[in-house]
Amino acid sequence: MAESERVMSDWCPGCGDFGILRAEDAAIKELGIPMERIVIVSGIGCSGKTPHFLNSPVSGVHTLHGRALPFATGIKMANPNLEVIVNFGDGDGLGIGAGHFVNAGRRNLDITVLLHNNGVYGLTKGQAAPTLKLNEKVKSMPSPNVNGEVNPVLLALAVGYTFVARAYAYDVIATKELIKQAVKHKGSAFIDILQPCPTYNDIETKEFYDKRVYKAEMDPVVKDQEDVAPKMLATISKATEWGDRIPLGLFYRNELVSTYEERISKSIPNYLTDPPASQRIETGGVPITLIDKLLSVKRVV
Amino acid sequence: MNRLIWRIGGPQGSGVDTAANIFSDAIALAGYYIYGNREYYSNIKGRHSYFTVAIEDRPVLSVSDSIDILATFEPETVFQHFKDVRGVALYDKNVEGAKLDSMLFMEGETRKRAQELLAKHSYPETVKGAIDYMAGRGVDCIPVDYDAVLRRILSEVKLPPTIVDRSKNVIAVAASYGLLGLDKRYMIDALTSIFKKEEYVKLNTKAVEYGMQLVQPRYGMTGLEPQGHRLRVDGNSMSALGKLLAGLRLQTYYPITPASDESTYIEANQMLEVEGEGHQLKKYGVVVLQSEDEISAVNTAIGATLTGARAATATSGPGFCLMAEGIGWAGINEVPLVITYYMRGSPSTGLPTRSGQADLKFALNVSHGEFPRVVIASGDHPEVFHDAFWAMNLAEIYQTPVVHLVEKVLANSYSVIDDNELSYHTLRIDRGKLSRGGEGYKRFAITDDGVSPRAFMGSSKLIYTGDEHNEVGHITEDVDMRFVMFEKRMKKMETMARQIPDAEKLKTYGDIEHSDAVVLTWGSPKQATIEAIDMLAQEGIQLGMVQLRMFSPFPREAVRRLLGGKKMIIDVENNYTAQGAQVVTEQTGIEPTNYVLKWNGRIMTREEVYDALRRAAKGGTKRVALNGGV
Repeated sequence: MAESERVMSDWCPGCGDFGILRAEDAAIKELGIPMERIVIVSGIGCSGKTPHFLNSPVSGVHTLHGRALPFATGIKMANPNLEVIVNFGDGDGLGIGAGHFVNAGRRNLDITVLLHNNGVYGLTKGQAAPTLKLNEKVKSMPSPNVNGEVNPVLLALAVGYTFVARAYAYDVIATKELIKQAVKHKGSAFIDILQPCPTYNDIETKEFYDKRVYKAEMDPVVKDQEDVAPKMLATISKATEWGDRIPLGLFYRNELVSTYEERISKSIPNYLTDPPASQRIETGGVPITLIDKLLSVKRVV
Repeated sequence: MNRLIWRIGGPQGSGVDTAANIFSDAIALAGYYIYGNREYYSNIKGRHSYFTVAIEDRPVLSVSDSIDILATFEPETVFQHFKDVRGVALYDKNVEGAKLDSMLFMEGETRKRAQELLAKHSYPETVKGAIDYMAGRGVDCIPVDYDAVLRRILSEVKLPPTIVDRSKNVIAVAASYGLLGLDKRYMIDALTSIFKKEEYVKLNTKAVEYGMQLVQPRYGMTGLEPQGHRLRVDGNSMSALGKLLAGLRLQTYYPITPASDESTYIEANQMLEVEGEGHQLKKYGVVVLQSEDEISAVNTAIGATLTGARAATATSGPGFCLMAEGIGWAGINEVPLVITYYMRGSPSTGLPTRSGQADLKFALNVSHGEFPRVVIASGDHPEVFHDAFWAMNLAEIYQTPVVHLVEKVLANSYSVIDDNELSYHTLRIDRGKLSRGGEGYKRFAITDDGVSPRAFMGSSKLIYTGDEHNEVGHITEDVDMRFVMFEKRMKKMETMARQIPDAEKLKTYGDIEHSDAVVLTWGSPKQATIEAIDMLAQEGIQLGMVQLRMFSPFPREAVRRLLGGKKMIIDVENNYTAQGAQVVTEQTGIEPTNYVLKWNGRIMTREEVYDALRRAAKGGTKRVALNGGV
């Protein structure tokens, strides 16, 4: 490997990001999708470095703080044959990027979204992030959190993600399995990955999670339109369970909702076979787009 | 022929635009050229909008505020424009008694000015007063009994009164058209192509017939035999067509005036006809994505370009503010991003539906840090088309963000042009240096000209980051890598400056070499300026003109050569601080001697530029601030 391609992971020892990285790498290998077709898109923060640290020879786009989803949307829409996985943190995805998180759900593009959820802004030294609970005070905060928390699972469900799950970063095998399911899911898949930040979050620690997390036993799959409301209610009930026991697993899956690609295909019938990225635009420099008819509409004499 | 200025006004939602379109098309069908300018409020229904059309037997580039024919069908338009009419005013005789004070949509300040003018000349503050004011100045005021005409139409068609009432605008157009002396068939042909439903064609045909019967021809226009084909074009669709021809395949946008019309035009025509292998025609689709905000719009477009698709976005000032961070990412990642930037009245929401040129320096400096960028500005409709095409090429050849500046004036105005002005069959697509990637491929390979062969996502492993990166694309903070990578990127500025011909970076008009006085301008004011220079030439005042078209990289030597040593340089711009001139001074050390500036959001008219240039050329004021328009 060339010197310029050797990158050392620089997360803190014990960081939950390592678990996510290992699970993602393993999922990518086991999925068997050609590596050049896989694109990892990340935001800014510790989680943002994921595409640089993956062992798999996949493409990576380390974008702007909060903007991973818009980049991912552009990549996927221009080339729907690519498999796009987004990695972002809770500050990144649900704070500065909350608007994009909401609106991506409405589209239901066939992408996978992995939330590195540790309750803090690690890289800027431990400020409260959107998933930190009200009144909690992790060690680098001067005073307790005065903001209420976002429940990522509820939010994802409310805005239209059609695959909603929760994982725990230290359970690499279960996380890997969920990532594989999420990638295979037709539509926007979201996994809230609980992840200790050993340096700054001294409340939601490994010890905290290890004794609380359990695999929820439920049937997450929506079978028909009547099944939507009951499955959503069951998800809400699981998503709000937080205390001595914290449920993990796939809560909700609905493939009855059309994907954005299918919606685009209604107005562009050959969108999937001739997407923007694979359309020819010239032959020997001569534009092949014919605008004569569009101009003839403007012809007055 | 002498230029004829026609204007129609009315509340938004009352069909002013439709009326102006029918009129313009009829005039064009009769063989004349026009330039039409649209003024409107940031409002859906009720506030005053108006449309001005300049008519000539040769190409027209601007409008005037001195009105030959004013067509009105309600009171407010009379109050808004009575002071500017010099020929004929058509008005609704049933509203003669309407009081200025009851014009609730009229802004207080505007109302007060009209009030003062009428009071000064002792006219009552009613439509009748305004009519008498005009009549007192030799204007022929023609009363129209719209109600009677509408009643007559209603008795002849099977349509509800609410629908029939809406044809008031067409009656007004027809009556004003009747003054010109042109054949009725041009109007009928025009409305037939604009109204799709047969019942509306019938209704409006009657409106044309009865409207034209209300007046006697007096302008003696006979119709001309046009040579070749002509198009009626506006800036929004010219930009869209330039980009589509250049291979635009994904456009993002967030709704904003006056940029969204470009994107909705593309979406409405998204299934393109293309010439496939062996000259077979096939259809390709252009994806148009309405984003949740402009941050998303710019970053989605960037994402799309990484796959090899030609992608772009279009916005206006407030949206461009939100795009700043994304543009920086595109800069450091050498992304071929095109942003069509429709400038409007600013700062902040400013004058959302009016025009301006106050964002040049923002475009030149947008986003933190230093990175290569292209900033170009169009001055008329054919330029908007060519520059949109050019922008898509420049972005890929130099792998850097390109900002294409267009103004609201160009976006919403339209002109009739000879179709050979577009001469698009000679345009060529240049995708720049490409690579298939693969083993050992380096996206950011250090090269002599700063441009590295580009591979597309999907064909090769690619790594991008907004951090400083090494040749592969991984994050680096290494001292030497930062040094060379930064220099490699910036080198593209020199490459561009060297490779792009001066003739594309600026245009000249008139005999610059032998003129002591030169007008410096950019963007839409170029149009009125050219016409003003022609008027002055007839008086023996010779002025040359330099139109700046590319601000980054800036054609420093060419501008020095053209402007250096001139006794007088008159700068003409639609902003307060003469931003184009500031760039010239910064780049060349040359400072204009005179300034003609306008920041009230309205189009520059031929007469006001003529007057200002004349005053400057005769040694008058150093700084003329224009305030024409309504």
